[in-house]
Amino acid sequence: MSETYNIQNVKERINRIEDVLASVAAGDLDARIESEIEDDLSGIEAAIDLLIDDLTDELRQRAKMQKELEDKLSKIQEQQKTIMQQQEDLLELSSPVSKVWDNILILPVIGTLDSQRTQIMMENLLQKIVATGCTIAILDITGVPTVDTQVANHLLKTVTSARLLGAECIISGISPAIAQTIVHLGINLSAIRTKATLQDAMIYAMKQNKRSEEVKLQIQRAGYDETEE
Amino acid sequence: MNTAMHDKRIPIIKIKNFLIVSIQVDMHDRLALQLQSQILEEIEKTGAKGVLIDISVLEMVDSFIGRMLSGMASMASIMDAAVVIVGMQPAVAITLVELGLEMPGVDTALNMEKGMEMLERRLRNQEFEL
Repeated sequence: MSETYNIQNVKERINRIEDVLASVAAGDLDARIESEIEDDLSGIEAAIDLLIDDLTDELRQRAKMQKELEDKLSKIQEQQKTIMQQQEDLLELSSPVSKVWDNILILPVIGTLDSQRTQIMMENLLQKIVATGCTIAILDITGVPTVDTQVANHLLKTVTSARLLGAECIISGISPAIAQTIVHLGINLSAIRTKATLQDAMIYAMKQNKRSEEVKLQIQRAGYDETEE
Repeated sequence: MNTAMHDKRIPIIKIKNFLIVSIQVDMHDRLALQLQSQILEEIEKTGAKGVLIDISVLEMVDSFIGRMLSGMASMASIMDAAVVIVGMQPAVAITLVELGLEMPGVDTALNMEKGMEMLERRLRNQEFEL
């Protein structure tokens, strides 16, 4: 014995259901079956309509969340940009090179040194040496709490590059902690002139200045003597 | 081709006891080697006691030129002439140090005037020692 279903216009209504599902799949979320006939198929039709409603809600919510996330992302990117800018500014501000006397430049270093900062410091110092024509540069690291191998290496490089330009670079203010680290790391700083304090370095630099002035005078005098004879 | 190379010769000027070499063209390897022997020959011919090499317009110095310069300093010092390298650009100095070419034993000066003073001082010291 077989059950029979009471369905009117079967063909037409199934086609209608297929059409609606197809248009929803294609993105038209306003499509509904909205059948007015009451029979065995109307339950399914109503259920499909409900499902489409739910789906529409979900999709709308998702779009909203995506927009919020994008907003947040752009805000974060903006903040990131500001931070980078500030970091750059800080790097530039943190290594001032000043001329304190005839022929003498001072570069006071304060805070922790990293590779990038030492690099910028080095470039600034070398450019300033060339621009001012000073032959003595004092690198004061009193304000540096610690150094590691890399930073010590960068300091060495700075001093060597300054020498290649024809300037003498003195390092002053090496703290006990830094002295210990440097010796423990096995870095040889003997090729570099180091002074205990900035004051000592200044005294040394000024003596050096005086000496070269004297030699210059002597040479000039000797030159005149020769011509007179 | 030979004449073309001769046209590119870098002039070596003699003033008093010193030779002055101003490098104003981009150095390639052959030119560098040619300059090296040219300077050494000139030292022999003139009996110069010092050589000033001005590289202030060189914006790029590779490891070969760097080695040539420091080699030249040693060669000249065997021939009793001091070499002073003058006016190196900061970027060049950084490159050389990064390449590990620290040029020990090579004297450097910020500009021609200071280089000249340095050589005069050295000559004078030598006279005193005698």
